[in-house]
Amino acid sequence: MKTVLNDFDVRTKLAIAAALSTIAVFIQHVYVLCFILFLSVLLSFLFYGNFKKTLRATRRLWYIFFAIVVLQSIFIKSGSQLIAVGSFSIISAGGLLKGAEFLLRMSIIIFTATIVASSSYREVVQGIVQLKIPYEIAFMVSVAIRFLPILKEEFSDILTAIQLRGLDIKKIPFKKRLKVYSYIITPVIAGAVDKAQKLSIAMETRAFRAYPKRTSYLILKLAARDYIFLIFLFIFTVAVFISYYLFGFPGRIL
Amino acid sequence: MGILRGTYLSYIKAEKICFTYNPGKPFINCLDIELKTGQFCSIMGPNGSGKTTIGKLLVGILKPSSGNIFIDGNDISKMSLGHIGSKVGYLFQNPAFQIFAATVFEELSFIMTLKDYDKDYIESEVDRVLALLHMEDKKFSSTFSLSYGQKQRLALAGILLNKPHYLILDEPTTGLDILRKQVLAAVLKELMNMGAGITVFTHDYEFIKNFGGRILKMDRGVIIEDRIE
Repeated sequence: MKTVLNDFDVRTKLAIAAALSTIAVFIQHVYVLCFILFLSVLLSFLFYGNFKKTLRATRRLWYIFFAIVVLQSIFIKSGSQLIAVGSFSIISAGGLLKGAEFLLRMSIIIFTATIVASSSYREVVQGIVQLKIPYEIAFMVSVAIRFLPILKEEFSDILTAIQLRGLDIKKIPFKKRLKVYSYIITPVIAGAVDKAQKLSIAMETRAFRAYPKRTSYLILKLAARDYIFLIFLFIFTVAVFISYYLFGFPGRIL
Repeated sequence: MGILRGTYLSYIKAEKICFTYNPGKPFINCLDIELKTGQFCSIMGPNGSGKTTIGKLLVGILKPSSGNIFIDGNDISKMSLGHIGSKVGYLFQNPAFQIFAATVFEELSFIMTLKDYDKDYIESEVDRVLALLHMEDKKFSSTFSLSYGQKQRLALAGILLNKPHYLILDEPTTGLDILRKQVLAAVLKELMNMGAGITVFTHDYEFIKNFGGRILKMDRGVIIEDRIE
Protein backbone atom coordinates (compact mmCIF):
# COMPACT_ATOMS: atom_id res chain seq x y z
CA MET A 1 0.00 0.00 0.00
CA LYS A 2 1.42 3.40 -1.02
CA THR A 3 1.54 5.86 1.90
CA VAL A 4 2.98 9.32 2.54
CA LEU A 5 6.29 8.05 3.95
CA ASN A 6 6.62 4.95 1.80
CA ASP A 7 9.51 6.35 -0.27
CA PHE A 8 11.92 6.69 2.65
CA ASP A 9 15.14 4.69 2.41
CA VAL A 10 14.93 1.21 3.91
CA ARG A 11 17.93 2.03 6.16
CA THR A 12 15.88 4.83 7.76
CA LYS A 13 13.11 2.31 8.38
CA LEU A 14 15.59 -0.19 9.84
CA ALA A 15 16.93 2.58 12.12
CA ILE A 16 13.39 3.40 13.32
CA ALA A 17 12.69 -0.27 14.05
CA ALA A 18 16.03 -0.66 15.86
CA ALA A 19 15.62 2.54 17.92
CA LEU A 20 12.03 1.94 19.03
CA SER A 21 12.60 -1.76 19.73
CA THR A 22 15.75 -0.94 21.76
CA ILE A 23 13.80 1.57 23.87
CA ALA A 24 11.05 -1.04 24.33
CA VAL A 25 13.53 -3.67 25.50
CA PHE A 26 15.65 -1.51 27.82
CA ILE A 27 13.05 0.77 29.39
CA GLN A 28 10.59 -1.17 31.49
CA HIS A 29 8.05 1.49 32.25
CA VAL A 30 4.43 1.27 31.20
CA TYR A 31 4.04 5.02 30.45
CA VAL A 32 7.17 5.07 28.25
CA LEU A 33 6.09 1.85 26.54
CA CYS A 34 2.59 3.27 25.91
CA PHE A 35 4.14 6.37 24.33
CA ILE A 36 6.54 4.29 22.19
CA LEU A 37 3.65 2.04 21.12
CA PHE A 38 1.65 5.11 20.11
CA LEU A 39 4.64 6.29 18.04
CA SER A 40 5.11 2.83 16.49
CA VAL A 41 1.44 2.59 15.51
CA LEU A 42 1.52 6.12 14.07
CA LEU A 43 4.69 5.45 12.08
CA SER A 44 3.40 2.04 10.99
CA PHE A 45 0.28 3.77 9.65
CA LEU A 46 2.33 6.45 7.89
CA PHE A 47 4.84 4.01 6.38
CA TYR A 48 2.79 0.84 5.93
CA GLY A 49 -0.81 1.93 6.23
CA ASN A 50 -2.48 -1.46 6.60
CA PHE A 51 -3.55 -2.15 10.19
CA LYS A 52 -6.00 -4.91 9.33
CA LYS A 53 -3.36 -6.88 7.44
CA THR A 54 -0.91 -6.58 10.36
CA LEU A 55 -3.47 -7.72 12.91
CA ARG A 56 -4.70 -10.54 10.67
CA ALA A 57 -1.18 -11.80 9.95
CA THR A 58 -0.25 -11.81 13.63
CA ARG A 59 -3.57 -12.96 15.09
CA ARG A 60 -2.18 -16.27 16.37
CA LEU A 61 0.71 -14.49 18.08
CA TRP A 62 -1.70 -12.32 20.03
CA TYR A 63 -3.31 -15.39 21.60
CA ILE A 64 0.14 -16.51 22.80
CA PHE A 65 0.94 -12.99 24.07
CA PHE A 66 -2.32 -12.82 26.02
CA ALA A 67 -1.67 -16.25 27.50
CA ILE A 68 1.82 -15.09 28.62
CA VAL A 69 0.33 -11.89 30.07
CA VAL A 70 -2.14 -13.94 32.12
CA LEU A 71 0.65 -16.28 33.30
CA GLN A 72 2.91 -13.37 34.22
CA SER A 73 0.05 -11.71 36.11
CA ILE A 74 -0.48 -14.91 38.07
CA PHE A 75 3.13 -15.86 38.80
CA ILE A 76 4.70 -12.47 39.55
CA LYS A 77 3.72 -11.38 43.06
CA SER A 78 4.45 -7.78 43.99
CA GLY A 79 2.47 -4.70 44.94
CA SER A 80 -1.07 -4.86 46.22
CA GLN A 81 -3.31 -7.90 45.74
CA LEU A 82 -6.00 -7.34 43.10
CA ILE A 83 -7.61 -10.79 43.09
CA ALA A 84 -7.06 -13.20 45.96
CA VAL A 85 -8.61 -16.39 47.31
CA GLY A 86 -8.26 -16.11 51.08
CA SER A 87 -4.63 -15.23 51.74
CA PHE A 88 -3.49 -16.67 48.37
CA SER A 89 -2.89 -13.89 45.84
CA ILE A 90 -3.96 -14.78 42.28
CA ILE A 91 -3.34 -11.49 40.51
CA SER A 92 -1.20 -8.72 41.98
CA ALA A 93 -0.68 -5.15 40.74
CA GLY A 94 3.02 -5.90 40.05
CA GLY A 95 2.17 -9.03 38.07
CA LEU A 96 -0.43 -7.17 36.03
CA LEU A 97 2.07 -4.38 35.35
CA LYS A 98 4.73 -6.86 34.18
CA GLY A 99 2.14 -8.55 31.93
CA ALA A 100 1.14 -5.19 30.45
CA GLU A 101 4.82 -4.27 29.87
CA PHE A 102 5.36 -7.56 28.02
CA LEU A 103 2.30 -7.01 25.81
CA LEU A 104 3.31 -3.42 25.03
CA ARG A 105 6.88 -4.50 24.20
CA MET A 106 5.72 -7.22 21.81
CA SER A 107 3.21 -4.85 20.16
CA ILE A 108 5.99 -2.29 19.60
CA ILE A 109 8.26 -4.91 18.00
CA ILE A 110 5.46 -6.09 15.69
CA PHE A 111 4.39 -2.60 14.61
CA THR A 112 7.98 -1.43 14.02
CA ALA A 113 8.57 -4.58 11.96
CA THR A 114 5.69 -3.52 9.68
CA ILE A 115 7.59 -0.28 9.00
CA VAL A 116 10.46 -2.33 7.52
CA ALA A 117 7.93 -4.57 5.73
CA SER A 118 6.76 -1.55 3.72
CA SER A 119 9.92 -1.97 1.60
CA SER A 120 10.40 -4.90 -0.77
CA TYR A 121 12.56 -7.74 0.48
CA ARG A 122 15.17 -6.92 -2.19
CA GLU A 123 15.44 -3.39 -0.79
CA VAL A 124 15.79 -4.78 2.76
CA VAL A 125 18.67 -7.04 1.66
CA GLN A 126 20.36 -4.21 -0.24
CA GLY A 127 19.91 -1.94 2.79
CA ILE A 128 21.64 -4.53 5.01
CA VAL A 129 24.48 -4.89 2.48
CA GLN A 130 24.96 -1.11 2.29
CA LEU A 131 25.09 -1.02 6.09
CA LYS A 132 28.35 -2.99 5.59
CA ILE A 133 26.91 -6.21 6.94
CA PRO A 134 28.48 -9.18 5.05
CA TYR A 135 26.50 -10.25 1.99
CA GLU A 136 26.32 -13.84 3.27
CA ILE A 137 24.31 -12.66 6.29
CA ALA A 138 22.14 -10.43 4.11
CA PHE A 139 21.55 -13.38 1.79
CA MET A 140 20.49 -15.55 4.75
CA VAL A 141 17.99 -12.84 5.73
CA SER A 142 16.65 -12.76 2.17
CA VAL A 143 16.32 -16.56 2.10
CA ALA A 144 14.47 -16.50 5.43
CA ILE A 145 12.08 -13.80 4.17
CA ARG A 146 11.58 -15.68 0.90
CA PHE A 147 10.95 -19.09 2.48
CA LEU A 148 8.88 -18.18 5.55
CA PRO A 149 5.53 -18.00 3.66
CA ILE A 150 6.34 -21.32 1.93
CA LEU A 151 7.14 -22.98 5.27
CA LYS A 152 3.90 -21.59 6.71
CA GLU A 153 1.90 -22.99 3.78
CA GLU A 154 3.64 -26.36 4.05
CA PHE A 155 2.96 -26.53 7.78
CA SER A 156 -0.72 -25.83 7.10
CA ASP A 157 -0.86 -28.52 4.35
CA ILE A 158 0.85 -31.06 6.61
CA LEU A 159 -1.52 -30.29 9.48
CA THR A 160 -4.42 -30.82 7.07
CA ALA A 161 -2.87 -34.04 5.73
CA ILE A 162 -2.50 -35.55 9.19
CA GLN A 163 -6.13 -34.75 10.02
CA LEU A 164 -7.27 -36.28 6.73
CA ARG A 165 -5.70 -39.51 7.97
CA GLY A 166 -8.78 -39.70 10.18
CA LEU A 167 -7.42 -37.86 13.21
CA ASP A 168 -9.65 -35.33 14.93
CA ILE A 169 -7.03 -33.13 16.57
CA LYS A 170 -9.58 -31.14 18.58
CA LYS A 171 -10.98 -34.30 20.16
CA ILE A 172 -7.76 -35.88 21.38
CA PRO A 173 -6.21 -35.19 24.81
CA PHE A 174 -3.55 -32.49 25.16
CA LYS A 175 -0.67 -34.95 25.72
CA LYS A 176 -1.50 -36.84 22.52
CA ARG A 177 -1.94 -33.58 20.66
CA LEU A 178 1.66 -32.70 21.52
CA LYS A 179 2.68 -36.08 20.08
CA VAL A 180 0.79 -35.24 16.86
CA TYR A 181 2.70 -31.95 16.59
CA SER A 182 5.97 -33.85 16.93
CA TYR A 183 4.91 -35.91 13.89
CA ILE A 184 4.06 -32.75 11.97
CA ILE A 185 7.56 -31.36 12.57
CA THR A 186 9.22 -34.35 10.80
CA PRO A 187 8.03 -33.51 7.25
CA VAL A 188 8.48 -29.77 7.88
CA ILE A 189 12.15 -30.26 8.86
CA ALA A 190 12.73 -32.85 6.10
CA GLY A 191 11.25 -30.39 3.57
CA ALA A 192 13.39 -27.53 4.89
CA VAL A 193 16.59 -29.61 4.73
CA ASP A 194 15.69 -30.75 1.21
CA LYS A 195 15.08 -27.15 0.11
CA ALA A 196 18.34 -26.00 1.71
CA GLN A 197 20.26 -28.73 -0.15
CA LYS A 198 18.66 -27.83 -3.49
CA LEU A 199 19.23 -24.12 -2.86
CA SER A 200 22.91 -24.64 -2.04
CA ILE A 201 23.40 -26.65 -5.25
CA ALA A 202 21.59 -23.96 -7.26
CA MET A 203 23.84 -21.32 -5.64
CA GLU A 204 27.00 -23.27 -6.48
CA THR A 205 25.90 -23.69 -10.10
CA ARG A 206 25.37 -19.92 -10.30
CA ALA A 207 28.87 -19.27 -8.90
CA PHE A 208 27.86 -17.83 -5.54
CA ARG A 209 30.95 -16.24 -3.90
CA ALA A 210 33.08 -16.90 -6.97
CA TYR A 211 34.40 -13.33 -6.72
CA PRO A 212 35.26 -11.43 -3.53
CA LYS A 213 33.17 -8.38 -4.50
CA ARG A 214 29.64 -8.23 -5.83
CA THR A 215 28.06 -5.53 -7.88
CA SER A 216 24.38 -4.68 -7.56
CA TYR A 217 21.85 -3.30 -9.99
CA LEU A 218 19.95 -1.73 -7.09
CA ILE A 219 21.88 0.98 -5.24
CA LEU A 220 20.10 2.79 -2.40
CA LYS A 221 20.75 6.48 -1.78
CA LEU A 222 19.82 8.35 1.36
CA ALA A 223 17.89 11.54 0.54
CA ALA A 224 17.86 14.77 2.56
CA ARG A 225 14.58 13.73 4.21
CA ASP A 226 16.24 10.50 5.39
CA TYR A 227 19.12 12.42 7.01
CA ILE A 228 16.70 14.82 8.73
CA PHE A 229 14.57 11.95 9.99
CA LEU A 230 17.62 10.01 11.22
CA ILE A 231 18.95 13.07 13.14
CA PHE A 232 15.55 13.53 14.84
CA LEU A 233 15.41 9.83 15.62
CA PHE A 234 18.89 9.88 17.16
CA ILE A 235 18.09 12.94 19.32
CA PHE A 236 14.77 11.42 20.40
CA THR A 237 16.31 8.03 21.35
CA VAL A 238 19.17 9.60 23.31
CA ALA A 239 16.71 11.98 25.04
CA VAL A 240 14.47 9.09 26.13
CA PHE A 241 17.42 7.14 27.60
CA ILE A 242 18.90 10.21 29.34
CA SER A 243 15.58 11.27 30.84
CA TYR A 244 14.89 7.73 32.12
CA TYR A 245 18.33 6.71 33.38
CA LEU A 246 19.82 10.08 34.42
CA PHE A 247 16.77 12.04 35.55
CA GLY A 248 14.52 9.11 36.53
CA PHE A 249 11.64 10.44 34.45
CA PRO A 250 8.97 9.13 34.46
CA GLY A 251 9.12 7.90 38.06
CA ARG A 252 8.31 4.42 39.35
CA ILE A 253 4.65 3.41 39.34
CA LEU A 254 4.80 0.88 42.20
CA MET B 1 -14.50 -50.44 1.01
CA GLY B 2 -17.68 -52.39 1.17
CA ILE B 3 -19.49 -51.09 -1.90
CA LEU B 4 -20.53 -53.71 -4.48
CA ARG B 5 -18.88 -53.46 -7.86
CA GLY B 6 -21.10 -52.01 -10.57
CA THR B 7 -23.37 -49.97 -8.31
CA TYR B 8 -22.71 -46.31 -8.99
CA LEU B 9 -24.00 -44.40 -5.99
CA SER B 10 -23.53 -40.70 -5.60
CA TYR B 11 -20.88 -40.20 -2.91
CA ILE B 12 -19.46 -36.70 -3.30
CA LYS B 13 -21.72 -33.96 -4.53
CA ALA B 14 -20.87 -30.28 -5.01
CA GLU B 15 -23.76 -27.90 -5.65
CA LYS B 16 -23.11 -24.50 -7.19
CA ILE B 17 -19.76 -24.00 -5.50
CA CYS B 18 -17.84 -20.79 -6.00
CA PHE B 19 -14.30 -20.10 -4.87
CA THR B 20 -11.84 -17.26 -5.22
CA TYR B 21 -8.20 -16.70 -4.28
CA ASN B 22 -8.40 -12.95 -4.94
CA PRO B 23 -11.55 -11.05 -3.93
CA GLY B 24 -13.39 -9.83 -7.03
CA LYS B 25 -11.84 -12.48 -9.29
CA PRO B 26 -13.86 -15.73 -9.02
CA PHE B 27 -11.71 -18.76 -9.81
CA ILE B 28 -14.41 -21.43 -9.57
CA ASN B 29 -17.79 -20.04 -10.50
CA CYS B 30 -20.99 -21.92 -9.68
CA LEU B 31 -19.66 -25.43 -10.32
CA ASP B 32 -21.78 -28.59 -9.99
CA ILE B 33 -20.05 -31.94 -9.80
CA GLU B 34 -21.11 -35.41 -8.68
CA LEU B 35 -18.70 -38.29 -8.05
CA LYS B 36 -19.91 -41.86 -7.62
CA THR B 37 -18.62 -44.90 -5.81
CA GLY B 38 -17.38 -47.78 -7.95
CA GLN B 39 -16.58 -45.42 -10.81
CA PHE B 40 -13.23 -44.20 -12.09
CA CYS B 41 -13.26 -40.51 -12.87
CA SER B 42 -10.44 -38.48 -14.37
CA ILE B 43 -10.43 -34.72 -14.12
CA MET B 44 -8.07 -33.34 -16.74
CA GLY B 45 -6.87 -29.93 -17.64
CA PRO B 46 -3.78 -27.81 -18.14
CA ASN B 47 -1.79 -26.27 -15.28
CA GLY B 48 -3.79 -23.60 -13.50
CA SER B 49 -7.14 -24.91 -14.75
CA GLY B 50 -8.40 -25.47 -11.19
CA LYS B 51 -7.93 -29.23 -10.76
CA THR B 52 -6.11 -29.10 -7.43
CA THR B 53 -8.43 -26.34 -6.17
CA ILE B 54 -11.49 -28.50 -6.85
CA GLY B 55 -9.83 -31.51 -5.20
CA LYS B 56 -9.07 -29.45 -2.10
CA LEU B 57 -12.61 -28.04 -2.05
CA LEU B 58 -14.13 -31.53 -2.26
CA VAL B 59 -12.31 -32.70 0.87
CA GLY B 60 -12.76 -29.52 2.86
CA ILE B 61 -9.15 -28.28 2.75
CA LEU B 62 -10.43 -25.12 1.05
CA LYS B 63 -13.80 -23.62 1.91
CA PRO B 64 -16.10 -22.50 -0.93
CA SER B 65 -17.26 -18.88 -0.81
CA SER B 66 -20.76 -20.14 -1.64
CA GLY B 67 -22.48 -23.42 -2.47
CA ASN B 68 -22.60 -26.76 -0.67
CA ILE B 69 -20.55 -29.93 -0.77
CA PHE B 70 -21.89 -33.25 0.50
CA ILE B 71 -20.00 -36.45 1.25
CA ASP B 72 -22.21 -39.50 1.65
CA GLY B 73 -25.13 -37.13 2.19
CA ASN B 74 -23.38 -35.13 4.93
CA ASP B 75 -22.69 -31.41 4.51
CA ILE B 76 -18.90 -31.12 4.82
CA SER B 77 -19.12 -27.64 6.37
CA LYS B 78 -20.39 -29.49 9.45
CA MET B 79 -17.72 -32.23 9.32
CA SER B 80 -14.22 -32.13 10.78
CA LEU B 81 -11.23 -32.95 8.54
CA GLY B 82 -10.75 -36.12 10.59
CA HIS B 83 -14.31 -37.22 9.82
CA ILE B 84 -13.92 -36.39 6.12
CA GLY B 85 -10.63 -38.33 6.04
CA SER B 86 -12.38 -41.43 7.34
CA LYS B 87 -14.72 -41.33 4.32
CA VAL B 88 -12.58 -39.90 1.52
CA GLY B 89 -8.86 -40.49 1.07
CA TYR B 90 -6.95 -37.56 -0.46
CA LEU B 91 -3.47 -38.03 -1.89
CA PHE B 92 -1.53 -34.79 -2.15
CA GLN B 93 0.52 -33.99 -5.24
CA ASN B 94 3.66 -34.09 -3.10
CA PRO B 95 3.71 -37.34 -1.07
CA ALA B 96 6.34 -35.88 1.27
CA PHE B 97 3.52 -33.86 2.91
CA GLN B 98 1.85 -37.10 3.96
CA ILE B 99 4.78 -38.92 5.49
CA PHE B 100 5.22 -38.08 9.15
CA ALA B 101 7.29 -40.79 10.80
CA ALA B 102 10.83 -42.13 10.47
CA THR B 103 9.98 -45.75 9.59
CA VAL B 104 7.33 -47.30 7.36
CA PHE B 105 5.80 -49.27 10.23
CA GLU B 106 5.59 -46.23 12.51
CA GLU B 107 4.17 -44.19 9.66
CA LEU B 108 1.31 -46.62 9.20
CA SER B 109 0.71 -47.36 12.85
CA PHE B 110 1.02 -44.05 14.71
CA ILE B 111 -2.54 -42.82 14.06
CA MET B 112 -3.96 -46.12 15.32
CA THR B 113 -1.59 -45.99 18.31
CA LEU B 114 -2.85 -42.50 19.12
CA LYS B 115 -6.37 -43.88 18.97
CA ASP B 116 -5.38 -46.64 21.46
CA TYR B 117 -6.08 -49.52 19.07
CA ASP B 118 -5.02 -53.02 20.03
CA LYS B 119 -1.41 -53.92 19.05
CA ASP B 120 -2.38 -57.09 17.16
CA TYR B 121 -5.03 -55.20 15.20
CA ILE B 122 -2.50 -52.47 14.31
CA GLU B 123 0.01 -55.10 13.15
CA SER B 124 -2.58 -56.90 10.99
CA GLU B 125 -3.84 -53.64 9.43
CA VAL B 126 -0.32 -52.48 8.60
CA ASP B 127 0.38 -55.88 6.99
CA ARG B 128 -2.91 -55.68 5.06
CA VAL B 129 -2.19 -52.32 3.42
CA LEU B 130 1.47 -53.14 2.79
CA ALA B 131 0.41 -56.32 0.99
CA LEU B 132 -2.17 -54.37 -1.01
CA LEU B 133 0.52 -51.96 -2.22
CA HIS B 134 3.22 -54.63 -2.67
CA MET B 135 5.48 -53.08 -0.02
CA GLU B 136 5.78 -55.92 2.49
CA ASP B 137 9.58 -55.92 2.21
CA LYS B 138 9.72 -52.23 3.24
CA LYS B 139 7.89 -52.68 6.55
CA PHE B 140 10.84 -51.65 8.73
CA SER B 141 12.62 -49.40 6.22
CA SER B 142 13.37 -45.76 6.88
CA THR B 143 10.87 -43.48 5.14
CA PHE B 144 13.74 -41.18 4.12
CA SER B 145 15.39 -43.95 2.07
CA LEU B 146 12.29 -44.65 -0.05
CA SER B 147 12.12 -43.67 -3.71
CA TYR B 148 9.53 -41.13 -4.89
CA GLY B 149 7.20 -43.88 -6.15
CA GLN B 150 7.54 -45.83 -2.88
CA LYS B 151 6.80 -42.68 -0.87
CA GLN B 152 3.69 -42.18 -2.94
CA ARG B 153 2.52 -45.75 -2.33
CA LEU B 154 3.29 -45.34 1.37
CA ALA B 155 1.17 -42.19 1.49
CA LEU B 156 -1.59 -44.13 -0.29
CA ALA B 157 -1.20 -46.97 2.24
CA GLY B 158 -1.67 -44.48 5.08
CA ILE B 159 -4.91 -43.30 3.47
CA LEU B 160 -6.18 -46.84 2.89
CA LEU B 161 -5.89 -47.69 6.59
CA ASN B 162 -9.07 -45.66 7.07
CA LYS B 163 -10.89 -47.92 4.57
CA PRO B 164 -12.30 -44.91 2.70
CA HIS B 165 -15.14 -45.36 0.23
CA TYR B 166 -13.63 -42.84 -2.13
CA LEU B 167 -10.13 -41.81 -3.19
CA ILE B 168 -9.07 -38.50 -4.67
CA LEU B 169 -5.55 -38.47 -6.10
CA ASP B 170 -3.93 -35.22 -7.13
CA GLU B 171 -1.43 -35.65 -10.01
CA PRO B 172 -0.40 -39.15 -8.85
CA THR B 173 1.86 -39.78 -11.85
CA THR B 174 4.09 -36.71 -11.45
CA GLY B 175 7.72 -37.83 -11.22
CA LEU B 176 6.97 -41.51 -11.94
CA ASP B 177 8.62 -43.46 -14.76
CA ILE B 178 6.63 -45.84 -17.02
CA LEU B 179 7.27 -48.85 -14.79
CA ARG B 180 6.14 -47.01 -11.61
CA LYS B 181 3.06 -45.75 -13.42
CA GLN B 182 2.20 -49.35 -14.30
CA VAL B 183 2.62 -50.37 -10.64
CA LEU B 184 0.36 -47.49 -9.56
CA ALA B 185 -2.23 -48.38 -12.22
CA ALA B 186 -2.27 -52.01 -10.99
CA VAL B 187 -2.81 -50.87 -7.39
CA LEU B 188 -5.65 -48.52 -8.39
CA LYS B 189 -7.31 -51.31 -10.40
CA GLU B 190 -7.16 -53.56 -7.34
CA LEU B 191 -8.82 -50.85 -5.28
CA MET B 192 -11.47 -50.40 -8.00
CA ASN B 193 -12.14 -54.14 -7.87
CA MET B 194 -12.74 -53.78 -4.15
CA GLY B 195 -15.47 -51.24 -4.93
CA ALA B 196 -13.77 -47.93 -4.17
CA GLY B 197 -14.60 -44.87 -6.24
CA ILE B 198 -11.55 -43.06 -7.54
CA THR B 199 -11.04 -39.60 -8.95
CA VAL B 200 -7.67 -38.71 -10.41
CA PHE B 201 -6.69 -35.12 -11.15
CA THR B 202 -4.13 -35.28 -13.92
CA HIS B 203 -3.05 -34.16 -17.35
CA ASP B 204 -1.54 -37.57 -18.09
CA TYR B 205 -3.96 -39.04 -20.63
CA GLU B 206 -1.70 -42.06 -21.29
CA PHE B 207 -2.14 -43.06 -17.63
CA ILE B 208 -5.93 -42.74 -17.44
CA LYS B 209 -6.38 -44.66 -20.70
CA ASN B 210 -5.73 -47.73 -18.51
CA PHE B 211 -9.03 -47.21 -16.72
CA GLY B 212 -11.61 -45.72 -19.04
CA GLY B 213 -14.56 -44.50 -17.01
CA ARG B 214 -15.63 -40.89 -16.80
CA ILE B 215 -13.46 -38.07 -18.06
CA LEU B 216 -14.07 -34.43 -17.13
CA LYS B 217 -12.06 -31.73 -18.85
CA MET B 218 -11.49 -28.41 -17.12
CA ASP B 219 -10.29 -25.04 -18.21
CA ARG B 220 -10.08 -21.88 -16.08
CA GLY B 221 -12.24 -23.31 -13.33
CA VAL B 222 -15.03 -24.52 -15.66
CA ILE B 223 -15.90 -28.08 -16.78
CA ILE B 224 -15.82 -27.93 -20.56
CA GLU B 225 -16.35 -31.62 -21.32
CA ASP B 226 -17.93 -34.57 -19.46
CA ARG B 227 -17.80 -37.94 -21.23
CA ILE B 228 -17.62 -41.68 -20.57
CA GLU B 229 -14.88 -43.69 -22.33
